[in-house]
Amino acid sequence: MIRIENLKKAFGKVTVLDGIDLSIEPGEVVSILGSSGSGKSTLIRCINGLERIDAGRITVDDFDVSNPKELAEARKRSGTVFQLFNLYPHLSALRNVTLAPVEVLKRNAAEAEKEGRALLESVGLGDRADAYPAQLSGGQRQRVGICRALAMKPRYLLLDEVTSALDPEMTAEVLEILADLTGRGTTMIFVTHEVAFARSISDRIVFLDQGRLLVDLPCETFFAEDGGMANARVAQFLSKMRKD
Amino acid sequence: MRYADFGPHDIVLLLNGLGVSLTLFLTTSLVGVVLGALLAVVRYYRVLVARELVTFVTEMLKNSPVLVQLFLVFFGIPALFKIDVTPFEAAFFTLALNTAAFVYVIVVSAVESIDREQIEAGRVFGLTRWQVLRHVIAPQAVAFATGPLTALLVNQLQVTSLISVIGVVDLTKVGDILNMRTLKPFIVWTVVGVLYYLAAKIIALAGGFVERRLTAHSAWKGL
Repeated sequence: MIRIENLKKAFGKVTVLDGIDLSIEPGEVVSILGSSGSGKSTLIRCINGLERIDAGRITVDDFDVSNPKELAEARKRSGTVFQLFNLYPHLSALRNVTLAPVEVLKRNAAEAEKEGRALLESVGLGDRADAYPAQLSGGQRQRVGICRALAMKPRYLLLDEVTSALDPEMTAEVLEILADLTGRGTTMIFVTHEVAFARSISDRIVFLDQGRLLVDLPCETFFAEDGGMANARVAQFLSKMRKD
Repeated sequence: MRYADFGPHDIVLLLNGLGVSLTLFLTTSLVGVVLGALLAVVRYYRVLVARELVTFVTEMLKNSPVLVQLFLVFFGIPALFKIDVTPFEAAFFTLALNTAAFVYVIVVSAVESIDREQIEAGRVFGLTRWQVLRHVIAPQAVAFATGPLTALLVNQLQVTSLISVIGVVDLTKVGDILNMRTLKPFIVWTVVGVLYYLAAKIIALAGGFVERRLTAHSAWKGL
């Protein structure tokens, strides 16, 4: 499981995360909601070790992310999908997917390639495996990004606003794949602005506000009038999102 | 021998001179590119004192005339350390180090041109700093650097002509000799100039070819 205890993170004088406590059990789908600047993406970047935390502790299956020796193990257990895809532009879709399995997990190249093709096939990109990122649409790129993360067979999938850079049509094609993944028992931590989608796939909703964890409730309770909606900030956020 | 017209043997002389120029150019370029790239890797790994030292030395090499550097190596260093340095050795060291300094700057900026996001992606998936350098940064940095490197090498070929001053019999020196003998400067220097031009053109064409190969992945940007 992923355990976050009293996490604090500041950029200079700006406190971004202010004492976050959160645990995520294997198999759970947890959506993290909150307005822009509430610290959602930073939280993900702390879990995968891209940001150094100022205080507190994050462990992934008991491997401490702040310990350089344990970070490698922690990272093997989690896969990240990025908002801006972050694909390697000089590698084909397939090579994007197989690079880490071959280099980090020391998988046999031919095997990794076979699995990579199967993964791309499963997201409808079987015929685009040899295309470079520049030749793919945004939605296709993000699907490659998802395959790249899945190729490492992560226990935890960290999704950082994966549809924010996509238009509605492409958003739909990516969300469809994510919905499919939840059906297969993948643990997902899903930072998003897609409230309706979060509601449809999540077991739990976590609401961040100004770097604090304001609400952590089962999905149904969160959207209930006497549950999360009873919190003024949550109600305000949800009504604003509905208008958009 | 009286002052005389050109003879068939002059072609051999010119080709010998060209050979010396090209040999110096190719060897110093090879050493310079390898050394410059290695220094850039030192910077990538943030080796503390080495980084400051490299910056200082490359700054000195970039911002002083090659001719002055050549005089320092050929006259200055032998005088200080009481050692013998042949003109060819002096020319080799000076040009190799000078090329390395410029290559260093090109490679550093090429490495810095790679998006941070890709490097983060590599790190997140567990690639080590070295693996990120080898599989993510280097292939793209090489493609990015090929253009500026080609321009640098074309320029360094012309710079080799300076070594004739300390007595290396390169193409320029051969031109000088022929000019003294025939007293036909216009013809001599035109021929020498054309030979430099042809050599430079070949370097530029080769560089362009390599660059197109390396950037093939971005050729469809508009799609």
